[in-house]
Amino acid sequence: MKILTTVKKVVDVELNIQVKEGKIVQDGLQYVMNAWDENAVEATVQLKENNGAETTLVCMGDSESTLMIRKAYAMGIENGIHVDDPLLESADSNGYAKVLKKIYENGDYDLIITGKQAQDTDNGHTGIMLAEYLDIPCVSNVVAIEVVDESQLAVSRIGDSGTEIINVNLPALLTVSDSINEPRLPALRGIMMAKKKAIETKTLADLELTLEQIDMQPVRTEILEYQAPSVRQAGKKFEGDAAEITAKVVQLLSNEAKVI
Amino acid sequence: MDFEFSEEHLLVQEGARDLVESKIKPAAIDTDKNHMIDPTLVKTISELGYLGAYIPEVYSGADLDFLSYIIIIEEVSKACASTGILISAHTSLCCNPILQSGTETQKQNFLPSLATGEKIGCFLLTEPDSGSDAANIRTTYVEKEDAYILNGNKIFVTNGGYLGIGIVFATRDRSQGYKGISAFIVDLSTSGIEIMGNEEKLGIRGSYTTSFALDNVKVAKENLLGKEGEGFKIALETLNGGRIGVAAQALGIAEGAFDRSRAYAKERKQFGKPLAAVQAIQFKLADMKLKIESAKLITYKAAWLKCQKMQHSVESAMAKTIASETATWVTKEAIQVHGGYGYICEYEVERMFRDAKITEIYEGTNEIQRIVIAKDVLK
Ligand SMILES: Cc1cc2nc3c(=O)[nH]c(=O)nc-3n(C[C@H](O)[C@H](O)[C@H](O)COP(=O)(O)OP(=O)(O)OC[C@H]3O[C@@H](n4cnc5c(N)ncnc54)[C@H](O)[C@@H]3O)c2cc1C
Repeated sequence: MKILTTVKKVVDVELNIQVKEGKIVQDGLQYVMNAWDENAVEATVQLKENNGAETTLVCMGDSESTLMIRKAYAMGIENGIHVDDPLLESADSNGYAKVLKKIYENGDYDLIITGKQAQDTDNGHTGIMLAEYLDIPCVSNVVAIEVVDESQLAVSRIGDSGTEIINVNLPALLTVSDSINEPRLPALRGIMMAKKKAIETKTLADLELTLEQIDMQPVRTEILEYQAPSVRQAGKKFEGDAAEITAKVVQLLSNEAKVI
Repeated sequence: MDFEFSEEHLLVQEGARDLVESKIKPAAIDTDKNHMIDPTLVKTISELGYLGAYIPEVYSGADLDFLSYIIIIEEVSKACASTGILISAHTSLCCNPILQSGTETQKQNFLPSLATGEKIGCFLLTEPDSGSDAANIRTTYVEKEDAYILNGNKIFVTNGGYLGIGIVFATRDRSQGYKGISAFIVDLSTSGIEIMGNEEKLGIRGSYTTSFALDNVKVAKENLLGKEGEGFKIALETLNGGRIGVAAQALGIAEGAFDRSRAYAKERKQFGKPLAAVQAIQFKLADMKLKIESAKLITYKAAWLKCQKMQHSVESAMAKTIASETATWVTKEAIQVHGGYGYICEYEVERMFRDAKITEIYEGTNEIQRIVIAKDVLK
């Protein structure tokens, strides 16, 4: 089985992000691998270890994206493609999906695994759009993958009314949930080996793609402005006798908050 | 001049941060409370290769450079100084002298089990009557047939409780002073070695600090490290590198306390505004940052010099002094920024305050570092 896994470099949202005049302040930002993509990498490496697979990772972004690829190498991915082109700076999910389509077509893959969303935009579009453009089956929010045979997987996904088990024919695309696995911590030896491995770097021109072909002339969606979330008001704390507090809270809820 | 980390260093830093966030940080309070690092955590750290960071690949290490190792100690110590010194004493004080002064056979015999954490390393120099005056040790050795026989007492042995591999220093004749001292690689489960318990102490409580009594301990001739009489030189060279590890530990402690103080100052409101809006607190944070940045520069510089195989004894003395004094000062102020909460265990800065002090003492007190620096200044 040949697996293509996608990874995005995102801002570390655990650190303070500041918005100034509608833009994110770039100074002092740190970047990490998108958390759901770490799950995608782990799922890929597990398939490789348990069933045998050839694993390739693709990451689109600036020169620092190589760090994401090397981290994935340290976790056990074998090949890495870095799409690095300044023209992609304003790309949206649709544009990315179109580039990934080309990567897929160049490689004869059986399976694509992506995170179910990126923790910076929380869109969750790219994987699903890619499956549509490739006209292959897509299962989203996947929590378990089992290989049935060379041409079929049994995957579990969390749906509206519980876990659904779906047989899916390959080639297919899966977007994984963070509950599918616990991504492994890279070992130091893996990091050392990752440093030595080659990364294939591609521009749009290398991929024979024009901005028109990836719907970026003009781009279909555009972020006009960022707004910092409003700071939540501190709550009220009540201590003392339970009956007294209950009466007080009920009174406040109906008279002050006017919710009951 | 280049102040940027290489891609390799960034990868190591991120790897270490992942390990710290998911395993070491959540365990830090218990590590202090229970006077030990949970054995499963030690196992995880070993399995991921953190005990063999800069041991070459042929001896089962990760083959990273010295600066990578320093980055690891710094990151780990931001969350837990006890775990920081576990890795640092093991690597700097046991793996390193074998790597630098060991024969090929010794490297093959000892480094793989140290690199994988099957054995934890330690350093047995200090004795009840010989601390700063390390040339004055009383543990003796005599040659007997195919072996050396060691007798004496060793104290304050970091990592001693793991009963792994120790670098033991002993003299054949005290009248010869430092020239009489030799170093030995000793498996601490050898018969005749009695462990005397773990010290109760102010800080780094998760780290073992044990004493040993050596009673006719037989050490094979092939486990003499370096030549006879070279022991003191080996000890000094070892500590030259080790001090950079202690500097990194101190730097990490200071950064951990600073990060918490900054976050707390932004969050805590008094008189209707965050503490961070009060100039008295702003200046504390500014002073913390000033000291941390200086400590960081000299620590990385000392590490860089060692990487380049250049003279680094004075820089490592300066790094250890500046970083340790930064750590004790920053952690003290961190409690002040936190007010009463800073005094409570849950907020962790009180532990960092207790942990910081040792960095001014071990691997040569700061007074001894100043002697080294002054000698260089006046030469
Ligand atoms: C938690 C812990 C872990 C340790 N781990 C290890 C270990 O793994 N291996 C090991 O071998 N040792 C270890 N030590 C020992 C440590 O290195 C010594 O405690 C340290 O070197 C100081 O020696 P001392 O305690 O005998 O103090 P002393 O040498 O008695 O010094 C007392 C004071 O006098 C000052 N002083 C002494 N001589 C001079 C001088 N000539 N000029 C100026 N000031 C001077 C000192 O700076 C200090 O302030 C550890 C100690 C502790 C507490």
